[in-house]
Amino acid sequence: MSVIITETVFYPAKALEAFEKSVSGAGAVVSFTGRVRDEGGAVATLSLSHYPAMTQAEIAKAGERAAQRWNLLDWHVIHRVGDMHPGEAIVFVATASAHRRAAFEAADYLMDYLKSDAPFWKSETRGDVKTWIEPTERDREDRNRWEQD
Amino acid sequence: MKINILFFGSLSDHGMSGARDVPGSVTDTDSLKMWLGEEDSVLQAALTRTGNRIALNGEFINKNNELKDGDEVAFMSPLSGG
Repeated sequence: MSVIITETVFYPAKALEAFEKSVSGAGAVVSFTGRVRDEGGAVATLSLSHYPAMTQAEIAKAGERAAQRWNLLDWHVIHRVGDMHPGEAIVFVATASAHRRAAFEAADYLMDYLKSDAPFWKSETRGDVKTWIEPTERDREDRNRWEQD
Repeated sequence: MKINILFFGSLSDHGMSGARDVPGSVTDTDSLKMWLGEEDSVLQAALTRTGNRIALNGEFINKNNELKDGDEVAFMSPLSGG
């Protein structure tokens, strides 16, 4: 149950291997990796800024919500900040549970949370033009799927 | 009263983060936002966009909150990670 915020390149395969080892008793392990798209070579740099005083604690709260809701055995989030380039991993989420449905849904929930509710801000640079990337209506709908009565 | 004011996301294009001495009329987060807008009409428009968030001392808030000396208020454009 951990959150890593890093300014350096990380390797999802290594992170998954370490996670799998740490939850050897789990019946199901699900992982997701988000990478920087190159958009046909148009995107030179993707930049992620965050609010260091909040980021780790807020993601940990979301992880705990997921752990309780889906009875997870473990979960792990790695999120890049700073400048990154096409092909590099931005985010890695892994969940472990007794059965597959819980692990799938918890990973999906955590990604929807990270896309539009965690204190990150994303901008891309194409040529000399910097553009802020904000959540789409689809992102908001995805996040709202998880609201409970 | 001194408040540490932070701007994140696209709001950082319009507002400069840092500790500011605020006038006596600023007593809560609503009046702080109003005061910032009075100083700069572009910032005012940016601060009132739908989807913005505000945090007080590292916690998201959804309603007006009273301020005290030394508080940190973060104004955030819509959050976007992943």
